[in-house]
Amino acid sequence: MHADPTPAIRLPAWIGMLLLISLAFPLGCGDPTLRTSAPVESVLRQDTLRIRGFDPVKAGDAPSALAIARIYEPLLQYAYLDRPYRVVPLLAADLPVVSDDGLTYTFTIRPGIHFQDDPCFTATGGKGREVTAEDFVYSVKRLADRKNQSVGYWILDGRVVGLDAFREASGTPEPTDYDVEIEGIRALDRYTLQWKLTEPYPQLLWVLAMHYVCAFPREAVERYGDAITRHPVGTGPYILEQWVPNYRLDYVRNPKWAETGRIDRFPSTATEAFRERGLLADAGQPLPFIDRITDTVVMDPATRWLMFMKEQLDASDVSRDNWDAVLDDQLGLAPALAARGITVSHGPSLRLGYFAFNMEDPLLGANRALRQAMTCAFDTEAWITLYNGRITRPNGPIPEGLDGHEPDYQPFPFDLDRAKALMVEAGFPEGRDPATGRRLQITLELGRADDAELRQSAELFAHFMSRIGIQINLSYNNGPAFFDKLERRQAPMFFLSWIGDYPDAENFLQLFYGPNSSPGPNRSNYRNPEFDALYERIRVMPDTPERTALYQAMARIVIADCPWIFAYQHLNVGLRHAWFGNYAMHAFPYGNEKYYRINRAGGAGGAR
Amino acid sequence: MSADVQIAVAVRSGAWAQLWRSTRARWCIGIVLVYVAMALYGEAVYQWHQWHDVVPSYQHQDLDRRFEPPGRDHWLGTDALGRDVLQRLVQGARIAFRVGIITSLIAIPIGVLLGALAGYFGGKTDDVIVWLYSTFAAIPGLLFILAIAMVVGKGLLGVYLGIGLTMWVGVCRLVRAEVMKQRALPYVMAARVLGYSHARIIVRHILPNVLHIIIVAFTLRFPASVGTEVFMSFLGLGVQGEPSWGIMINNARLRLWQGVWWEMTFVTLALFLLVWAFNLLGDALRDALDPRVRSQRT
Repeated sequence: MHADPTPAIRLPAWIGMLLLISLAFPLGCGDPTLRTSAPVESVLRQDTLRIRGFDPVKAGDAPSALAIARIYEPLLQYAYLDRPYRVVPLLAADLPVVSDDGLTYTFTIRPGIHFQDDPCFTATGGKGREVTAEDFVYSVKRLADRKNQSVGYWILDGRVVGLDAFREASGTPEPTDYDVEIEGIRALDRYTLQWKLTEPYPQLLWVLAMHYVCAFPREAVERYGDAITRHPVGTGPYILEQWVPNYRLDYVRNPKWAETGRIDRFPSTATEAFRERGLLADAGQPLPFIDRITDTVVMDPATRWLMFMKEQLDASDVSRDNWDAVLDDQLGLAPALAARGITVSHGPSLRLGYFAFNMEDPLLGANRALRQAMTCAFDTEAWITLYNGRITRPNGPIPEGLDGHEPDYQPFPFDLDRAKALMVEAGFPEGRDPATGRRLQITLELGRADDAELRQSAELFAHFMSRIGIQINLSYNNGPAFFDKLERRQAPMFFLSWIGDYPDAENFLQLFYGPNSSPGPNRSNYRNPEFDALYERIRVMPDTPERTALYQAMARIVIADCPWIFAYQHLNVGLRHAWFGNYAMHAFPYGNEKYYRINRAGGAGGAR
Repeated sequence: MSADVQIAVAVRSGAWAQLWRSTRARWCIGIVLVYVAMALYGEAVYQWHQWHDVVPSYQHQDLDRRFEPPGRDHWLGTDALGRDVLQRLVQGARIAFRVGIITSLIAIPIGVLLGALAGYFGGKTDDVIVWLYSTFAAIPGLLFILAIAMVVGKGLLGVYLGIGLTMWVGVCRLVRAEVMKQRALPYVMAARVLGYSHARIIVRHILPNVLHIIIVAFTLRFPASVGTEVFMSFLGLGVQGEPSWGIMINNARLRLWQGVWWEMTFVTLALFLLVWAFNLLGDALRDALDPRVRSQRT
């Protein structure tokens, strides 16, 4: 009798509130795994960075390329489990037929590939139509059209007969004529695509596995115009469900694959190591396995880590400051994490970080001894300590893992005494300008201001240089301002990295080719006639030991001239929760989500 | 008239005595003086290194001694690059004081001038100035500061201008209201009748009577601008290449969850104490200087 009556009153009120809330938000059930009416989806939750959009010709950064590769598909793809890397057909039926002179490539397009349904396909009443060879021709023309300000034209620049003329003609204010015939890229019939090259292009198959040339529907561009970047219409395993810029992206399985009976299968070849890990268990299974991908934009490494630990992300990288807490010296996982079933994989990346000199800077460009002195003053051991061992120090422009890499060639290792001697040779004994008696001041331009890791790297670099008397002034920019300075050649020094586009050292050597100077990829504006002559030879050479020897010679020229201080080659390390299956580290992971599995309890993909 | 003049005189003579009577105010003055000493010492260190053109000791890195907890060699520990946290903290105080003082030097003259003009003349002048400060007040302060920092470039100049040019609004409002009140008092009317110029009346007669508002505004604005500077530096828009508290907090964040607590703790504590002391001092000053508050007490 003395029981307090209030709980009896409170409880229904509380339930009533819940009911009210659920009535007010009938779709409030955000987590799709909670829905009971539909079969449980398997969901991959990943982090990403800000992306520029879904227009393949306008996105050159890795996060955008990853996003695009889920929706748009190129002719070729990397064999997921084969190393060294090789390409296999994706939308092509087979590898191309190449003429004897190496100038004509003929592709057969896979029949029965359809675009996703979209209102832009008015002729078919909104049903996605079949992909034809013309779609690839259109994609190439779009890439070449100056009005699109494509960032990817370099992959075909000067290589395809008649394409450069088309590009020139597109520079006029009139609308570009996409019906004009280009000799070098033609659809011979519905399923046959022919390339005619101006010179042999040994890297053609690599670049055709990138996202720039893909099956791209002309109807969508005509309907959406520039908004195509927010409204992708592709053939890939996923379609974009929603994109909230700078927050999150949701993709769902492309229903068109099931509707048209398209079946892509999990590869059945693998290296021995992958085979032992059981990665071939799904061989021959139809792709993709995952129904839904949710990407959340997480800029901050600490937040990313905490989200991973709270199981809000299925995979994570390991940030520099987590490294020693997560991994031991042999890259083994900390016991507490291993006990949770988290697994780790690692492999060298093709990301090369460097401090570059602007070779057009009157002081730095003309004074080779000064650049060599600064290279010698770069303290490898301390630098690796800062990164907790998650990097290696490259010796030159060709990273480990590519033909032409010569790890033992190190003419300018860390040597403070030698650096000081070189400073005397450079005309700045003790780092001081004899004319004024003041320390040499050099401005280092940096791409982000709010990134503590970047700031620490830059401050450590400034410390290295202060040991030979040089004062480095750090100048932080936001991304666009930074690249603007580089393009106008106004940065005396800058800190940047390059991620290899394909596994061929040519991709790194082109960064030193004179005619590629800013705004091209040679942001150092390095020019050396000897190097340029060699580059012009290798750019048409097929993969032979002779070419590898030339690569080495070219690397040596660059190393001696020191237009860059080669700072780091990243070690890719990825952590995954126990339920994340079928993962293989890949230097070019674009489009690989279709191979992954999420085996959460009760999940639809619980076979393994 | 004579009574008003006496009040003005009394403000000047009795204020210190009253301020000093409060234990809390004495503590605050003590803390502020410690910070002043730190800032002056930091400035001396900074200038000495500039003069000799060598690497400042607070930038000295030692990667063998990263993340050392507070100990004998480094009283407040070391950071990610093995730099001494105490020395950087002192440099942070130097930058905080620079920002606090220079932004006040920008904001207070603008605020006092416009406030006095608006309050004294009223009418059209008042309308224009009220419109101006209402417009400024309507713009979200931080956005405005960011915009100014973008225009003049990053670094201390952007911080000074960004904070200084937004902070005058509050001062202006207070001064305007007070001057309006003073304008109606008999001593101002008498001065007018005697034929004194407007400038003389404002500067010689009214301003001394609103001085307490300016002093209080300074002590309250000072910690606010220090806080804003820390915030901007945290976002990477403020100080470049110097150890601001904001940059230190941003750096310390990366390792906090692994138990590297000292940099974050001491910097936050330093910031907290500074803001706290200045705010309490501001209140105490208001108590001591404002004639109305005083008369209510006595």
